Amino acid sequence: MTIHNLYIFSKNGTLLYYAEWNRLNKSGITKEEEAKLMYGMLFSIKSFVSKISPLDPKEGFLYYKTSKYTLHYFETPSGLKFVLNTDNATHNARELLQQLYKEVYLEYVVKNPLCQLNEPIQSELFKLKVDELFKKSPLFLSRSI
Amino acid sequence: MRQQIIDAKNSSHNSGEADECLFEYLHTEMVNYALSKTSKNKEGEEELSRLEWMGFSVGYRIIERLTREWNRFKDELDMIKFICTDFWSSLYHKQIDNLRTNHHGVYVLQDNSFRLLDKIGTSNNKQYLQESPRLLAFTCGLLRGSLANLGIISTVNAEIATLPSCKFHVQVQRI
Repeated sequence: MTIHNLYIFSKNGTLLYYAEWNRLNKSGITKEEEAKLMYGMLFSIKSFVSKISPLDPKEGFLYYKTSKYTLHYFETPSGLKFVLNTDNATHNARELLQQLYKEVYLEYVVKNPLCQLNEPIQSELFKLKVDELFKKSPLFLSRSI
Repeated sequence: MRQQIIDAKNSSHNSGEADECLFEYLHTEMVNYALSKTSKNKEGEEELSRLEWMGFSVGYRIIERLTREWNRFKDELDMIKFICTDFWSSLYHKQIDNLRTNHHGVYVLQDNSFRLLDKIGTSNNKQYLQESPRLLAFTCGLLRGSLANLGIISTVNAEIATLPSCKFHVQVQRI
């Protein structure tokens, strides 16, 4: 099981945070471009899923899977979006994202008076805690594929 | 059943006061407000006296409530000890970690993980060190106000060397 990379988007699509651990293939475009592309795709998938769903889409879009990786999507009621790419063997990434929101984002961004909300996160302590959380998670096994 | 719910609530925030994050967010906004009202002066230092004064009034009132079941204090050191233990733990949920004095009216109160600072940084990064003193002005006033109501006129300064620990210097004014 491997975790590749993480994006955090604000309600209006600003990339708040990006981190990567085992990413072998670079997109070849700048981080900003990539973030826009990613956000655009997520936005489309979300509206697609809610339109096409034959039943009431309670939580809507949760994840998608390709032959090589899985993209996990977690959105809070306030519109904050957490996106995590892992390999296909990972299943309970949702819990991890919830934990990331509750134990790291809320504690070290929302409760930090010197952090501006809805702007890219600068706090070093936040970066440290994200890294800590992921590295101690059982989903994180850093071996190259 | 009802009793149980109430009990659980009381034990989680031990005194039944408003949830602590309310104070944290309100404090943040007070700091922002105080800063927006005053521009930086010539030396580039922030004007925090308004915040300090708010803290003074709050501290002055809090002492009335906190000491209602206490006997009179023996001496000055006794009062400072009360501040370090009961006062601090009812406000910040921990006690002062270290108290030093020269027995001539100077006290240094050290908190190794001050609640208003512990979400900001750790000892091995220097980020936010510049901005963090503004988060202590209110607490300085709080100390000064509570001591004032106990009958000690003092000046209180704060100092941060490494986040999230900080020191409060209390200098008692003898007349």
